[in-house]
Amino acid sequence: MTPEEILERVEEIKARGNSPAREALDPVNVPMIRHWAEAIGDANPRWAPGPDTEAPPAMAQVWTMYGLNPERMPGDPLPDTMSIFDEAGYTSVLGTNCDQTYARALRPGERVAISTRLDEVVGPKVTGVGEGWFITTKSIWTVGDEGVATMTFRVLKFKPGTGRASVDKTKSARPMINRDTEFFWAGTAAGELRIQTCNACGELRHPPGPVCPVCHAMDRGYVVASGRGTVHSFLVHHAPAVPGKKLPLTLALVDLEEGVRMIGEVDGEVAIGDDVEVWFDPIDDEVTLAKWRPSGTQAVEPEPEPEPSDIPVWELPITPTLVVSTALATRDFQDVHHDRDRSIGHGSKDIFINILSTNGLVQRYVTDWAGPQTQILSCALRLGAPAHPYDTLRFSGTIVSEQDGVTTIDVAAAVSIGMHANARLEVRLP
Amino acid sequence: MSGFSGAAAIAGIGATEFSKESGRSELQLSAEATLAAIADAGLTAADVDGLVTFTMDSTSEIALARELGMGDLRFFSRINYGGGAACATVQQAAMAVATGMADVVVAYRGFNERSGQRFGQVQKWAAEQVNTNGLDNAWSYPHGLSTPAATVAMQARRYMHEYGATSADFGAVAVADRRHAATNPNAFFHEKPITIEDHQASRMIADPLRLLDCCQESDGAVAIVVTSTERARDLKAGAVPIVAAAQGSATDQFVMTSYYRDDIGIPEIGVVGRDLWRQSGLSPADIETAVLYDHFTPYVLMQLEELGFCGRGEAKDFIAGGAIEIGGRLPLNTHGGQLGEAYIHGMNGIAEAVRQLRGTSVNQVDGAQHVLVTAGTGVPTSGLILGG
Repeated sequence: MTPEEILERVEEIKARGNSPAREALDPVNVPMIRHWAEAIGDANPRWAPGPDTEAPPAMAQVWTMYGLNPERMPGDPLPDTMSIFDEAGYTSVLGTNCDQTYARALRPGERVAISTRLDEVVGPKVTGVGEGWFITTKSIWTVGDEGVATMTFRVLKFKPGTGRASVDKTKSARPMINRDTEFFWAGTAAGELRIQTCNACGELRHPPGPVCPVCHAMDRGYVVASGRGTVHSFLVHHAPAVPGKKLPLTLALVDLEEGVRMIGEVDGEVAIGDDVEVWFDPIDDEVTLAKWRPSGTQAVEPEPEPEPSDIPVWELPITPTLVVSTALATRDFQDVHHDRDRSIGHGSKDIFINILSTNGLVQRYVTDWAGPQTQILSCALRLGAPAHPYDTLRFSGTIVSEQDGVTTIDVAAAVSIGMHANARLEVRLP
Repeated sequence: MSGFSGAAAIAGIGATEFSKESGRSELQLSAEATLAAIADAGLTAADVDGLVTFTMDSTSEIALARELGMGDLRFFSRINYGGGAACATVQQAAMAVATGMADVVVAYRGFNERSGQRFGQVQKWAAEQVNTNGLDNAWSYPHGLSTPAATVAMQARRYMHEYGATSADFGAVAVADRRHAATNPNAFFHEKPITIEDHQASRMIADPLRLLDCCQESDGAVAIVVTSTERARDLKAGAVPIVAAAQGSATDQFVMTSYYRDDIGIPEIGVVGRDLWRQSGLSPADIETAVLYDHFTPYVLMQLEELGFCGRGEAKDFIAGGAIEIGGRLPLNTHGGQLGEAYIHGMNGIAEAVRQLRGTSVNQVDGAQHVLVTAGTGVPTSGLILGG
């Protein structure tokens, strides 16, 4: 299918405008709210069972999810659009944006309906994950004739395996570590370049080992290197592919000021004799590599510095239970959110948190801080790195503005490999 | 001259064809090469009472013995460190024969190194070994220094910096190898010579190493039969005496990453060379042709220096003007080497040395009396002097 043919079919779907309203399978109800609040860990008393129970705004989409064995409504523009791109070979999908607004809180007993239109299709674009198209839909949720919430949802449909050499650095070879070498790796993790020293004769040594080759003492310690050195030799690796590394890859043998040598990656061009300085690149929770860059230059990937946060930072350990329970509580039964083997089969490292739950967690973070009576007016999510089990979600937030009683807040939700989501919320503080 | 010198001899050589896809198991390849070597010597499988191979080889001595219906084995041994084992397998065989531990020992090596596990790719298992090798690799692999070409490139760049050698100097080795392979019907690159321009135009693999600086990846097997010189003289193919056989590793030795020495060259082959000269009473001037392990071209230059054929940093001048090609001052790798013939972990080079001394090489060097052979460098290594 040529891009022109794709766009022609897209135009047909766009021309349909808003789909007929599709009613939620269940009315807004207390048990589903309670399940959701449990899974998200949101103790806001407004969601608690009782005469005044409200549905959390982040659940707006939950009510109209299709369920485990979906029967797609004919004319639903998003599945129809998706199938065009599946046919054209753009078989993979990635959520990129989810912007929701909430007109009012929903109450148990209300039956929500959704109507969706295809808003925009842009492509083909070369992206990090592959050649693809950005598909934007706009949805409105109604109760009767009243609009209660809206959503602008954008996905990227892409051809798997066509990405710009995207590199998963967690696939780098792991260092074998034993009791003789663990001090070194503990050092890099702590931002220190450690050189073994013999406590008896003072000999410095790298790579380390259990016995001083000079005096045979086994009493050893370490000194922390200055992190400055000069290039003794280097090479530029072009082929073959190296797991976890972007090519070409410059590797240098660095003469440290202290007199030992180390192998390391270098960011930027170097020549023998050039001055270089160390920086530390966390590969994952376990391994941090000491890398080098020409002295006086900035790191290509600077060490992540926690952003200043107006809202106290919240660190949430991601467990498989969190991923699975929140997926099910948001009625999202896609296998990538609960089936590890299938998820790996799709090319993921593990299962990962779904968008509806990210939305819920972000809103919980804000209301936990601002107070249970805070009213969320809107939440615009920009999605990034997946949030896998055994990682940690780190939420931080800054207040952008306060105007006419509306406070705008930016929330960042980071995982170890990068930004999981950036959100901009508009809220009315109590 | 040591008591060992000349006591044992190579009595037979055998090989499979050299290809990119053998279509057979590694065990079968080694069995075929061993049968060919035994037949070349005019012996039978029942005569063999010792087997030696590389630690890396996938065929155990007993598996090979079973396939060929061998009887009792009195000697079996394996040598570590990849291609550095090549000449040391023959050394093991010769020592066993010279000391009466065995009568007929076969050294063999067989693999599907192109259609199976390719050494030129990143060998993830090497970083995952739960032993000191795995710990050593922790200083290189996680950074991405994880292919043989890249590890050599680090040394090559420094060598160029210190001595003014150029990529074209390395290319002269490839041109010589491919010239020799061009006339060798058993070579993968038979009738496919290259020019220095071809070399310079080949793509970068690990700058400064180009594609044509790197040996092939090959499927195949080679076997060498060793027995006493006295017995070999009475056998079908005659005796090629083992005049000297040595192993070497140097101070602060690593596998391919001996980068923590003052000089990041290949002193391990210097250790081997000094012992070869000591055992044989010979000097570089006595060598008419040599097979220098050519997994990567820069190492050939460094070996010439470590072995004493020329001074440090002088190899680029030593090899200039066709000096290492047939008809030159010291023809090297007359079978085409591992760039031209095949990469059988150095064992095919030992077979070529035997052919030179039998007078049967396709690129015969007139009056070859002593041939020096080396094994893989950058790792603990080994060498042989074969001859009269």
